[in-house]
Amino acid sequence: MSGTLQISLKINGESRVLHTAAHSSLLNLLRDNGYFDVKCGCEQGDCGACTVLLDGIAVKSCVILAMNCDGHEVRTIKGLGGHDRLTSRLQKAFVEHGAIQCGFCTPGMIIAAGDYLRHDGRADREQIRRAMSGNLCRCTGYQKIIDAVYEVAAELESEVCG
Amino acid sequence: MTVIGTDVARLDGIAKLTGKQQYTGDILIPGMMHAVLLRSPHPHAEIIKIDTSEAEKMGAVCLTYDDILINGQAVVYNERSVSVPAATYRDRTILPNKARHLYEPIAAVAADTEELAYKALQAVKVEYRVLQPVYDPQEAMEEGAPQLYDKVYLGDKEVDICNNIGVSRNISQGDVEAGFARADRIFEQDFELPRIYHAQLETKGCVVAPEPDGGITVWATAQSIHGNRQLLGRALNLPLSKINVKKIAIGGAFGSSIQVNTVTPICAALALKARRPVKLISSREEDFYSHQKYPVRFHVKMGVTNEGMITAAELSALVDFGAHQVQPLPFLGCVAGWFASLYQYGGNIGFHGTAVYTNKTPCCAMQGYGNPQTNFAIESMIDIISGEMGFDAIEFRLKNYRGVGHEFWGQGPTIRTIIKSCGVEESLLKGREIMGWSGRGRHTDKQGRIRHGLGVARGFHTSGTGGPKEGEVIDYSSAFIKINEDGSVDVVTPVMDLGGGTWDAIAKFVSEVLQVPLQRVGLSPTDTKSTAYDVCTHATRGVYCGGGAAYHVALEVRKKLLETAGRLLNEHAENLELVRDDDLGQGVVYVKGLRDNQMTVGEIARQAQINSWGTLQYAGSYRQKNCPPCFTTHFVEVAVDTLTGEITIPKVLIYGDCGTVVNPELFGGQLIGSFGRGMAYTLYENLTMNEEGGFTTKPQAASEPIYTSQPVKDGELLNHGALADYKLPTSSEMPLIENVLVRHTDTYEPTGPFGAKGIAESAIASVQAAIANAIYNAIGIRFYRLPITPEIVLQAIQKKAVK
Repeated sequence: MSGTLQISLKINGESRVLHTAAHSSLLNLLRDNGYFDVKCGCEQGDCGACTVLLDGIAVKSCVILAMNCDGHEVRTIKGLGGHDRLTSRLQKAFVEHGAIQCGFCTPGMIIAAGDYLRHDGRADREQIRRAMSGNLCRCTGYQKIIDAVYEVAAELESEVCG
Repeated sequence: MTVIGTDVARLDGIAKLTGKQQYTGDILIPGMMHAVLLRSPHPHAEIIKIDTSEAEKMGAVCLTYDDILINGQAVVYNERSVSVPAATYRDRTILPNKARHLYEPIAAVAADTEELAYKALQAVKVEYRVLQPVYDPQEAMEEGAPQLYDKVYLGDKEVDICNNIGVSRNISQGDVEAGFARADRIFEQDFELPRIYHAQLETKGCVVAPEPDGGITVWATAQSIHGNRQLLGRALNLPLSKINVKKIAIGGAFGSSIQVNTVTPICAALALKARRPVKLISSREEDFYSHQKYPVRFHVKMGVTNEGMITAAELSALVDFGAHQVQPLPFLGCVAGWFASLYQYGGNIGFHGTAVYTNKTPCCAMQGYGNPQTNFAIESMIDIISGEMGFDAIEFRLKNYRGVGHEFWGQGPTIRTIIKSCGVEESLLKGREIMGWSGRGRHTDKQGRIRHGLGVARGFHTSGTGGPKEGEVIDYSSAFIKINEDGSVDVVTPVMDLGGGTWDAIAKFVSEVLQVPLQRVGLSPTDTKSTAYDVCTHATRGVYCGGGAAYHVALEVRKKLLETAGRLLNEHAENLELVRDDDLGQGVVYVKGLRDNQMTVGEIARQAQINSWGTLQYAGSYRQKNCPPCFTTHFVEVAVDTLTGEITIPKVLIYGDCGTVVNPELFGGQLIGSFGRGMAYTLYENLTMNEEGGFTTKPQAASEPIYTSQPVKDGELLNHGALADYKLPTSSEMPLIENVLVRHTDTYEPTGPFGAKGIAESAIASVQAAIANAIYNAIGIRFYRLPITPEIVLQAIQKKAVK
């Protein structure tokens, strides 16, 4: 491909060599290569539907330059569910609490919630609300999402204490 | 135990949690082209010439007005097809020859990559004759105002458009003047509601693949697959049998895809021209300019006796619907209906509605179809009257509301039903106990920087648009259900689930009727070729009408099942019992009282197959003969910071009446989600635009400077179509979970499947007025316009203090 850069990165544990335009976002790189589990809601960093883990940190992939990911590691929801215990627990809590409606924000929400919990997130509703405030959901009013994250956080705390 | 009313993991839960759920933008077809749209940089301009030759040299396929002509004529349509043709105004074509709002698509370009498509788009040359725009609906009706249209069509009739008035509707009942004459006091007030944006998370998009037989396969953001198919057939002159619209998940809708989206016929026409699959997905900015919620200016007049009876009411509504009619005709009818159905008004009702073309983005339904707007005006008015006349606001409502035995207008004046179930009284009486209504105090008693207030408002929405007689609106649904040879069940339904859980309700109804465990009921992926018609998932009709059709079809399958079982068990069908056996994980049939001699549903289905008696299946269409209202009541506590003008909501009680609750968690999700959207409509959202270049007969006031880092075009949204500058609630602004109380009334709708009716749109109707009424209770200031932002609150507080 002309006018493109070649980058090497790990996506969901798999080493990939991909081509990208210099101005292309990580979101576009992922979706162009079939990672449709990463949703595109605004391409302006506002909605959080495209949240992925970059070197273990939750980022909005639409505002990350693809070429800056050369040599880095990306995980999408597909590469977390079933592999990562915390993600699986969050997924279970989301469905049990009715935290899903149209589902478009759900992958990003779960990654953002996992990021909060992985960074010592407490079972504190106010903190969870703040941590999740970068991910928009137009359907649910967030309450059931917060409930689901809170439940997993409380379980984690009791496991550590117990 | 019944599955109805129990929480079960939703059917599409795993797909949505794992990112495996496919939405339109996730469709990938080998050889697919990417399309982008050329949008008018002028809010009002004739398109003189479009030169695509340079773009075509770059390998792009271009679509312009000339390409959409069939026998030299452009097909004029209305993208919203839920009304009967005779009640549908038609004013638009796939691409226009005149731009009527800023960024209206006027040409389309497809290329191998999106990037190349954008480059080719820049090479398209367009010659415009720029016209003056008109933005204000009042000004649009003035002499000399620029005219958007000369002629449009109503059904097959050509109609003239004068003074930009698209539709006017006058509806009356009883004797309004006599009613006012009987009143002791007359109240009159203006109210105004802004334009807002659906902000569904998935932007509108479409993928179309041409098929070898000359037909097309379509994936589109849609609330109705059949609506999309019919319109594409008409606009592209294709037989419907050659158009297959796939049922695919939609990332939120809120009414934004009741109509066929603008991108869909463009994408289809491009794919047919290119003879290759084409994908066309709107950017967020483009989506902001595709559809918005109807803004309305109201004038309300009510007559009341000293005993607290409303004797007559009159409502005037001025609607600015933008550049195209996505059906303000039924919108006005519905506004009249929501107004008429709230209270009895002594039987004396007058409605005057006017809907006007302006050079703005077209408006379409958005959760409530005029109901939140109307409810804000009427439920504010009820609070005003209660305060002025010294009535308790709850008692006043209880005296005047329309409940069981009264008539409800479910979809304008032609779709009416008699109310058979109603949770209004229960919600108001129990709500006032829970929320300590009697202790709310008066605003004059409140002191300090943060002042708390408690407000109430009640509302409803229809459950579908069915009725005993045909009216202006089409309503029926279809289903095909079959019992497989192992006793599992396939349900094929054209009904869309917009996220609210309609499919789960349908699966539960079928599970219950056929006594098959829910896990053994599957919803088939389907499309327009393999389903009969369903009008649309709109008007809160998914559970009641879509579910109602599945329920009635399942009853027919049950009849066949029992007949077949009778043949096998040598017994009359009516002597048989069908029950679910959770140990066997199957339904079983046995002769009443003789449980020993039983057969599983799977065995019966298998015997029917191996004996060549046929499959236990049925396909049918069904129309609900009622449109029962689902009621919602909101008690809202607000805290007003008198120093900053900021309003927070420490506590809220939401009472919902959906008849039987089918999915409790999802019911709660509807009510809480709607509260979030209603809160945003009341306190945050407002689409403001640069209107400086618009026609006006008034001397131009010195305009306030627009604070922005980028220049703003005439007719451009001040948020530049970015979510960052369009305030939506995030998780931090919602009331704390423990302070959101959700309750359901103890009601049963006799005409609904298992006693169920709808809930969705009802859940937002009264949020706005409840918040505004609570603000009045806190600080004694009445707000007649939304949104009630901190700046506006502060200004009002300062103005009051000066007085």
